[in-house]
Amino acid sequence: MRPVIEAKDLGIEFYRSRRRKMSLREIVFKGKNLAPKDTFWALRNISFTVEQGEAVGLVGGNGSGKSTLLKMIAGVMIPDEGGVKVRGGVAPLIELTGGFLGELTARDNLYLAGGLHGLSKAQMDERYDEIVDFAGPQVRAGMDMAYRHFSSGMQVRLAFALITTLDEPIVLVDEVLAVGDRAFREKCYLRMENMLAGGKTLFMVSHSEADLRRFAKRGLYLQQGRLVGDGPVEEIIEQYNADADAAR
Amino acid sequence: MILLPQARGIIARRQVLDTLVRRDLHVRYAGSPIGYLWTILDPLAMALIYFVVFTYIFEARHVGYQPYVLFIVIGVLAWQWFSQCATETSRALLAESRLVRSTNLPRELWVVRIVVAKGIEFLLSLPVMFGFAIFFIAVGETKIHYRIVLLPVAIVLQFLLSVGVGLILAPVTVLFTDMPRIVRIALRMGFYATPIIYGVHAAPPVLQKILLLNPMAGILEMYRAGFFPHELNVPSIISSFVITFATLIAGTIVFKRLEAPVLKEI
Repeated sequence: MRPVIEAKDLGIEFYRSRRRKMSLREIVFKGKNLAPKDTFWALRNISFTVEQGEAVGLVGGNGSGKSTLLKMIAGVMIPDEGGVKVRGGVAPLIELTGGFLGELTARDNLYLAGGLHGLSKAQMDERYDEIVDFAGPQVRAGMDMAYRHFSSGMQVRLAFALITTLDEPIVLVDEVLAVGDRAFREKCYLRMENMLAGGKTLFMVSHSEADLRRFAKRGLYLQQGRLVGDGPVEEIIEQYNADADAAR
Repeated sequence: MILLPQARGIIARRQVLDTLVRRDLHVRYAGSPIGYLWTILDPLAMALIYFVVFTYIFEARHVGYQPYVLFIVIGVLAWQWFSQCATETSRALLAESRLVRSTNLPRELWVVRIVVAKGIEFLLSLPVMFGFAIFFIAVGETKIHYRIVLLPVAIVLQFLLSVGVGLILAPVTVLFTDMPRIVRIALRMGFYATPIIYGVHAAPPVLQKILLLNPMAGILEMYRAGFFPHELNVPSIISSFVITFATLIAGTIVFKRLEAPVLKEI
């Protein structure tokens, strides 16, 4: 069985300044930027593989490149070095409400966002009740309301319900478990556990040790764009905490 | 071949394209009580203004073919499609940055989707054009020429041209913030540098040569060929085919090159 996520020598370079805007001509005509650079590597020399059904938690301080790595796995950012191969569809729990438009009704939004993630209208009809039930009675009552009139919690609940019904084999999670009220959070946790039990691969970013311990078996530790730890999640959390304490 | 993989990617996601186009049309028409009418009112008002100015004030009917109203209406409608595409595709990636950041779709889709949505609005405005045509045929001022078969060719060619232009503008705007302003000025100049309110035959010989470089000139020539029995300007049409495909290829290359930096920026 080949790994579902395979990152090899992954690297991505960012600009500190906005100087790049001047260098457009070079990028287009020479294929590279010749202007003096002030850049840094947000991630470099990252290699790892994730097998099917694994639950991986990504740990690291602010600015260590966690979200960037997640985005490259999701395919919404392109590495400058190396590459990442993802075998199978991805359900990205990143920027959950990205596909929703304030001025349309919640119902229209749900169908449109579902369409963006590749669900046909018939498939959406089938899943509609499941999604809205999961989002809760408050959301159900407001399905014909303009989406912008939803509270931010309700907006995220609907979006979470939609993405988690996508049924893709790989689930990427970026700190979204911290949404909603206590009751809804527990529902989210249950659903995540069901997805894991169903053999899905989970790749999550979190600062919450409780979440990491609960879902992840394996930990990856990023420090300033380098992969400095890969092992059982408990050890990785300890390593991270030790580093954080030492830095204090 | 550079165009094929992109085209294949878009076709594979045509369902998503369909969703996006529906959303665009939905958003556009949901907020307005007379929705669809705006699509035709705008160009009609423009056509009316040019008609009044150029027939009653400048008395310059002869710069176009007769009936001059039909001549202007065709030009203005087609130009409106092109100019709206250029304006909106230049903002395509920025305006939808949240979606671009959160969905892994072929990024060319964000450009194509605008050209298709605007294209559907253009198709919806065609009945106005046919209405004028039928009126002038009824009063005996013009006839339908068999060259009307060039009309669909013109639509396809304009579609490809707009996609090509959009593929260049969309990523460049992300990296170069002043681009929309430049596009706005270019379009305003483009309106007069395109035979919309005048025919190529009315331009001095030097300008006629320069107009060969404007792909919209040949496209408009094909739109009008079925309604005006003048001699067909073949060099202009050939030139617009060549420029359109060159633009499309250039657009694909530019988009590919700039994709990675653009994704970091939005």
